[in-house]
Amino acid sequence: MDDNQGQAASAFRFHGKWQDFARIAVPNLLLTIVTLGIYRFWATTREREYLWSKTDFIDERLEWTGRGIELFIGFIMAVILILVPFFALQFATQALALRGYGGWAALLTLVMFGFIMYMIGLARFRALRYRLSRTYWHGIRGGSDDQGFGYGWSYVWKTLSGSLALGLLVPWSMMDLWNDRWNKMSFGPHKIDAVGNYAETFKRYLLFYLAPIVFFVAIAVIAVTAGTTDSADGVAAGAVLSVFIFYGVLGAVALAFYAKFFRVAVAGLSLHRLEFAFPAKTKAWFMLFLGDIGLWLLAALPVAAGLAAFGVFANFQMPDPSASPDAIEGFSESLVLIFIGLSVLPFALVGPFIRYRHWKFFVTHMEAYGEVNLDELTQSATVVSKHGEGLLDAFDVGAI
Amino acid sequence: MSTFFSAYFYDGKSAVRRTVEVQTIASDFFLLETERRHGPFAFADLHYVGDRDGGAVYGLDANDGWRLGLSGSVPADLTAKLPAKRFYGGWIDRLGIGRATIAFAAVSAAVIAVVLLTPQWLAPLIPASVEQSMGDALVGDFGGRFCHTKKGSAALDKLVRSLDANPESLQVEVAKIDMLNAVALPGNKIILFDGLVKQAKSPDEVAGVLAHEIGHVRERHVMQALLRQMGLAVVLGGMDGTGGSMLSGALSVSYTRGSERAADKHSMKVLSNASVSPIATADFFERLAKLSGEGDGKGKLTAMTGYISSHPLSTERKKAFENSIVKGKNYKPSLSPVEWTELKTMCTQDRKAKEGFGLDF
Repeated sequence: MDDNQGQAASAFRFHGKWQDFARIAVPNLLLTIVTLGIYRFWATTREREYLWSKTDFIDERLEWTGRGIELFIGFIMAVILILVPFFALQFATQALALRGYGGWAALLTLVMFGFIMYMIGLARFRALRYRLSRTYWHGIRGGSDDQGFGYGWSYVWKTLSGSLALGLLVPWSMMDLWNDRWNKMSFGPHKIDAVGNYAETFKRYLLFYLAPIVFFVAIAVIAVTAGTTDSADGVAAGAVLSVFIFYGVLGAVALAFYAKFFRVAVAGLSLHRLEFAFPAKTKAWFMLFLGDIGLWLLAALPVAAGLAAFGVFANFQMPDPSASPDAIEGFSESLVLIFIGLSVLPFALVGPFIRYRHWKFFVTHMEAYGEVNLDELTQSATVVSKHGEGLLDAFDVGAI
Repeated sequence: MSTFFSAYFYDGKSAVRRTVEVQTIASDFFLLETERRHGPFAFADLHYVGDRDGGAVYGLDANDGWRLGLSGSVPADLTAKLPAKRFYGGWIDRLGIGRATIAFAAVSAAVIAVVLLTPQWLAPLIPASVEQSMGDALVGDFGGRFCHTKKGSAALDKLVRSLDANPESLQVEVAKIDMLNAVALPGNKIILFDGLVKQAKSPDEVAGVLAHEIGHVRERHVMQALLRQMGLAVVLGGMDGTGGSMLSGALSVSYTRGSERAADKHSMKVLSNASVSPIATADFFERLAKLSGEGDGKGKLTAMTGYISSHPLSTERKKAFENSIVKGKNYKPSLSPVEWTELKTMCTQDRKAKEGFGLDF
């Protein structure tokens, strides 16, 4: 039995088992800890090798050929090219602010902000390019001959202008950037076409956009009508409740927009005579994130149990104040270390399993229509870079 | 696994899947289709790619997308010529996961020990001029926020002289900022914030805090902390943000607390040498303790956070200063009433000094 149950006849199928994945994730975590984190590039690679190899497209598995060393090199490059200049600029800003040149410090901060935005755009593009160039199917891979430097600029100006007009242009900027980067990609000899139309997502966006306003009006009306009769306690409880409802409703509406956005964006993709679709509805996305939250809660259980065992919740005993300071320090240090040990391990396993769930989600909902002519599908002639998505790593943004 | 053995082949040029037979000739092999022969290829050029449904897949060096998939029971003579499988990566597979884990853990422990311990020895090796220019670059004239009056500066100078044997090497300033704080910065710079001076009930209180900061400078804590932070940032840089910073925080906090305690010790020593009573400093900590809520209903919580916060508990420090009082010793005030008033009102008198922080970052 694998996690393939209930999947309709689709071009994409997932055959992974979470128990098998755990056999990869747990040793990965162990090795990552004992190498002070350096192994995580190889850990990521092993995760992807598994996920890709358990993914079927028509008649053959996908194959991930990226190497840990590529991600490692990418990370080192990101440190040298971004973090070092970034910290130098930060030092300069602090020095300027301390010396009283507030205006110059503000200007430098603005420059830094622009620099980071450009780098995020560039990182996003190059991560997608890297992933396609390392994904093989029938011995054929994808890629792009574009370096993404131009995309970096359009990311900056489209994101900025998206927030103009009171944020009403956000769907346009999101869809345009999606199309921009996918249109530069290819698989085998065929160029990928991306023609998603933001207008189709705009109604949903308005829902998200107007929800807070509707909500506050409703709250105001309720508060005015109830305020005359209710007690102070009732008002306080109402306020707390409305904060929860506010974030719950806003989150759900945001998800509804994103589900629609993703449907339209993927439906706009095509590769030669293949069309794609991603029919997942808001409910499916909601269940995905609900499951993620469940994983976090599951990880929190041992931490809570550990804290309870130390009596923090009940009656925490101070060590004897007359004891020597060293003894007190020793006690507190062991407490801190045990706490870290307890909390880091389960939480560190949440990440891999969330990636597993999300990959499974994307694969099971992904659909493709049309035909593939294997004779026409020849090897990609795009350049393959020797470094992985280090830039992306540095900014912690997703690739798709 | 069946006794049946089958092989498929992608040439990496087109996506067509070919069912083939493997024909071995010494260190080379051919792949035979019904009407076509591919090869020869060298076994030495093969590398392991991964497992598919119980069988192994191999790639050929320098041939993008070339794949040979074997499934079923592979004949022993063929298996012997195929490259080894890869699980965790080169080094770990060669050592075995158990031994590799132990080896990595040992190396990591050694690296962390070096990073934590060497700043103590490295810090004194950094030339004073380098530290000086670092401090100057960082602080400059503090945006014109340093207060100076003739009599106030003289009083501050007197205080510094009474607390340190080498006062010329220190730069002590009062900044027109209304905060209850004092800092020691690179380049032997100490900044007392006016808020702290103003709220002090006696010059002895300022002397105690100043002596504490001088302690940081003389023990070279500033440079040590900088080097340690930089070292930890580099070593734990490979870790995820949260895990790495938690570990780095936990590791450096104990050193910070150690430094604070050492600076307190230094403070008590020089106060005693200068015949300044530590009781005022103890009072100051008592007030701090009340401000932060220690000792009242929230005591338990603060005791808990005190462990993980960077400074020792104020109540604990208060006791230490109280215990350092020598009965019968002839203590004298660190400044005369006139000098104290001049120091306390220095920032009010100096109208040229700029106030507060113009822009917060």
